[in-house]
Amino acid sequence: MSGSRVLRRVGDGGIGADVSAITPERLAGLDEDGIRDIPILVGGRTAPLGRAFALEGGSGPDVSFVGDLARVDGIGAELTGGTVRADGPVGDRAGASMRGGRLIVEGDVGHDLGIGMSGGALMVTGDAGDRAGGAGPGASRGMTGGEILVRGSCGAEAGARARRGVICIAGQAGARTGHEILAGTVVVLGSAGPEAGRRNRRGSLVVLGRVEPPVAYRWACTYRPPHVRLLLAYLRRRYRLEIDDRHLDGRYRRYAGDLGALGRGEILVWDGS
Amino acid sequence: MHIQGTLIEDTYAEAFTGHFARVVITADSARWALEAAAAMTGFATSIIGCQVEAALERELSPAETPDRRPGASALLMTLPRGDLERRLIERIGQAVLTCPTTACFDGLPDAADRLSVGRAIRHFGDGYQSSKIVGGRRFWRIPVMEGEFLVEDTFGRVTGIGGGNFLILAEDGAAGLAAAERAVRQMFPAEGVILPFPGGICRAGSKVGARRSSAMIASTNERYCPTLRAMVPTALPEGVSAVFEIVANGLDPERLRAALRRGVIAACGPGVLAISAGNYGGALGRHRLPLREIAVQPS
Repeated sequence: MSGSRVLRRVGDGGIGADVSAITPERLAGLDEDGIRDIPILVGGRTAPLGRAFALEGGSGPDVSFVGDLARVDGIGAELTGGTVRADGPVGDRAGASMRGGRLIVEGDVGHDLGIGMSGGALMVTGDAGDRAGGAGPGASRGMTGGEILVRGSCGAEAGARARRGVICIAGQAGARTGHEILAGTVVVLGSAGPEAGRRNRRGSLVVLGRVEPPVAYRWACTYRPPHVRLLLAYLRRRYRLEIDDRHLDGRYRRYAGDLGALGRGEILVWDGS
Repeated sequence: MHIQGTLIEDTYAEAFTGHFARVVITADSARWALEAAAAMTGFATSIIGCQVEAALERELSPAETPDRRPGASALLMTLPRGDLERRLIERIGQAVLTCPTTACFDGLPDAADRLSVGRAIRHFGDGYQSSKIVGGRRFWRIPVMEGEFLVEDTFGRVTGIGGGNFLILAEDGAAGLAAAERAVRQMFPAEGVILPFPGGICRAGSKVGARRSSAMIASTNERYCPTLRAMVPTALPEGVSAVFEIVANGLDPERLRAALRRGVIAACGPGVLAISAGNYGGALGRHRLPLREIAVQPS
């Protein structure tokens, strides 16, 4: 085995495709004809993979998507192991329901990044749309485990209803970050948009930039939270993120809330000291 | 066999299998990490009376700790596996949780056997505690008056060797103590090895059981007591007036033997007539550490 299997988008890139079923586990043991025959959705209809993607060499356990992927949804969805790479920008639901492995997207991703994710690591070098690590329509829970790193910025409702896991947004976070978050942690190295942490039950929002805690939060203290230090040190080491020592060493204002919900959550804002 | 004029007796140290945990303590300064480590490993010289043997393993730089703060690592050893969990809960709960600025991490994260330590200590939070998972490891945040105490959910357990030892047979107390101090300086710090006695030195080596009480599991080793030379079958060569014992516990035989070798060689010299070892005829444990073999093994 050598190199990852490369799937190049062919045909009209303007027609949407959904490759949710295409994971290293699914491809394992299949020959090239078998891979081309895997049914996927192309333009909303079931079609063989070979109609939208050309197989370019590689026989290793990992999968790489290349070409015009802007309208390719579900890349890395339901991933359980191995590594999936994609040259972005890619479409919606990348890494949805991931349970393990790594998904690496070079570029931007659409909405619903990692919704329903329960394990593994998801890394995006660009921006993400709405609901990263959040809950899908009608779902009671967002991500329940694993790690999401977005090196750019995120749209609205990152981490909405997340039950566990870590979302790290190196840029700015949109409105309603951590909306109805059950537990888990959202780290924003930039600033967070309005209404962050509304209806937070036991989740943690860590913001190094600016954030306006909702009125249902109460200031508790300004201190050095040991878990934030541990988490930032881990993220810096694991993902080579540029996190200053002053953020590790610094004090954070702890706002407890949402007192209109369970009230055991928190927003921790770097105090700049 | 002699080293620097000191006889290395043809005997072996008798050691036993123990259950080990490594505790990594971090704090805002090395001073507080070491304070916590000292408190946690206090009164832990010997299984005989302390139920656990524990000591500082080494100081850790910020680059070596999970939260990038100064730290200290300590090893704890018990004989029954079940004891180890209880001792960790007691000692971390009383000595580390209470110490300013500290956090407490498992130093054996790859160990398959897990002890529920933080999981028990979390109840000090009286329901206000919460957990976080970082890098696949669960930690408990326990609210305390200073802020929060962070402790890892489970700690790893591995088996190692306890009771590695040698005896320094000296012509007087001063020479013997100086030799013991030289040995300790060469043996500490060493990763994977601890010296649980005060300053690494024991002046009161024991034998298994007692002559006059079946309730005692250990009593003075009269064969090595110079004041009893005329009264008992002595193990002391002519001219010996003081004996000190160095006891070392190790996570694995290789590191333990290497530490003992450094200690034995350092202890040899003027005023030290012989190096011997605690040998109980198989009554203590199944591991044998032959002195002469250890003394000549490549470092």
